[in-house]
Amino acid sequence: MQTAEKLQFESPTFIKRIKGMLGVDFYRLFHTPLFYIFLGIAAIIPAMLIAMTGMSGPDGTASEPLFTNVWQAIAADSPIYGFEGIEKYANMNMVFIFGGIMVSIFVGHDYKSGYVKQLFTTHAKKSDYMLSKSLTCAFAMACMCLTYLFGAVVAGALTQTSFSVNAGNLICAILGKLVMSLGWASLYTFLNIIFRRYFGVSIFSSFFFGTGILIIGVGALVGNTPVLNIFLYGSSVFACLSSNIVNLLVCLSVSVAWAAIYNLLGSYVLSKSDVY
Amino acid sequence: MNAIEIRNLSKNFGEKQAVSGLNMTVPVGAIYGFIGENGSGKSTTEKMICGLIHPSGGEIKLFGKEHTDVDVRAKIGVLIESPGCFPNYSVWNNLMLQAANLRVENAEDEIRKVLKTVRMEGAAGNKYKNCSLGMKQRIGIAMALLGKPALLVLDEPINGLDADGMRIMREVLLDLTQNHGCTVVISSHILGELEKIATHYGIIRGGKMIREMTAEELEASCRTYVALQTRDMKKTKALLDQKYARVEQDESGYLRVYNAKEPEEIVTYLYENGVLVNEIRTDKIGLEEYYIDLMQEGK
Repeated sequence: MQTAEKLQFESPTFIKRIKGMLGVDFYRLFHTPLFYIFLGIAAIIPAMLIAMTGMSGPDGTASEPLFTNVWQAIAADSPIYGFEGIEKYANMNMVFIFGGIMVSIFVGHDYKSGYVKQLFTTHAKKSDYMLSKSLTCAFAMACMCLTYLFGAVVAGALTQTSFSVNAGNLICAILGKLVMSLGWASLYTFLNIIFRRYFGVSIFSSFFFGTGILIIGVGALVGNTPVLNIFLYGSSVFACLSSNIVNLLVCLSVSVAWAAIYNLLGSYVLSKSDVY
Repeated sequence: MNAIEIRNLSKNFGEKQAVSGLNMTVPVGAIYGFIGENGSGKSTTEKMICGLIHPSGGEIKLFGKEHTDVDVRAKIGVLIESPGCFPNYSVWNNLMLQAANLRVENAEDEIRKVLKTVRMEGAAGNKYKNCSLGMKQRIGIAMALLGKPALLVLDEPINGLDADGMRIMREVLLDLTQNHGCTVVISSHILGELEKIATHYGIIRGGKMIREMTAEELEASCRTYVALQTRDMKKTKALLDQKYARVEQDESGYLRVYNAKEPEEIVTYLYENGVLVNEIRTDKIGLEEYYIDLMQEGK
């Protein structure tokens, strides 16, 4: 401790501040069993979708397969924003729903344990908290996307489903989904800041927005317009099996833009409202 | 320079005014006993000092700077309600996380030091959720001490501690202020314990600071009394009641005569009325009684 006469107030740089906070958040992430559970869930979902569809029914006749190609479990063939059947909907975008629940529990624990008290007493910059949480959760969701991919490939190999695809399109689609994690994670972090006193509401809101139901509804009304790409769900759909570098750049731009917006909004809410 | 200077602070929760026009001055190096009834606004004030809730009005300065200043806030340690630890992590890991957040250099050495300060060296490997209440409070102090704080804000840190736990806490806080120049704001309902360490007091009621004083000023303000015992306490009380304005029996059975000039005068008076005094002494009321008197005056 320092005496008053010797007391020096140092100004920690942004890099130093965020490094410390990220260190804590990543440590917590890797030591949270829930993270590994969600990784497992992400791997099982495509495996179940691929393995179970096309199975024989009780009368011995095989049902119509949901996917004719393994990669359709990763992304739709083309961007369709409205709901046109489960096969167009059931792809890697589902990770963003489960990711939302994981983020809610992860951020909710900060408040439940009282960790934010310690944090916000010594860290006046609320933007650091938003950024750190968004980056950590984006990483977690990107990891979930990768285990989803792994699950799909393994299930496809076991069920001998076709793997034929344009590699370039596939890579752009997968990278597009991965970069969307940042935007989604920022949205979920923001929602959890808004509903921090109501854990159930935060989980529900994450689930609600994660399903993309609002954009699906708008898509059904206005049709399949690329304007919907300005939204997180729209861009997530835009990352499809016909993607090219343009799709990837759109995903990246939209994700970063929304991440910035949600981070700014979240920081504003935190700085203007009480922690409790 | 004062560690804390608060002017005209207020906080409203909807219609309810939790703190109203509060002024508070805490000199550097003080142990400031912050006293008040439940719901008087102590915790709200402490949370505002720590930046956890926003004031509705007024000004808080810490070491001469705005309390929202990033640099000054990095020098605050806090224990409000609970330490804010992750229950499934060990004590050591919780402290490591706090050290990482505070960018503490040589974190392992610093953690060993604070664990030694709070007498918790042997419990570093314990899971936080398995620690006793007393241990948790000390872990909270250890967390607050990381980062070498210049100001510690402690809300009810001795609640639920056993006698040994209280003694350790007392020694830790005295060491921090006397040897390390730290300033401590401590709220507690255990006034007898607070009296042993506090150098300054602030008494809050209904969200307003009704009195601020040093320990010396408290000592001077405390009324003296004569405590005595006789064989017939009932008769003694009846006799004393006739002559003195305030006579009360305390918890240990002594009769206390307030505002009596000399003990000899009481002994003589009782002797003349056929009562022999077995034991007599003069004393002063403590913080607890002073506080109760003050609260009763207000009511």
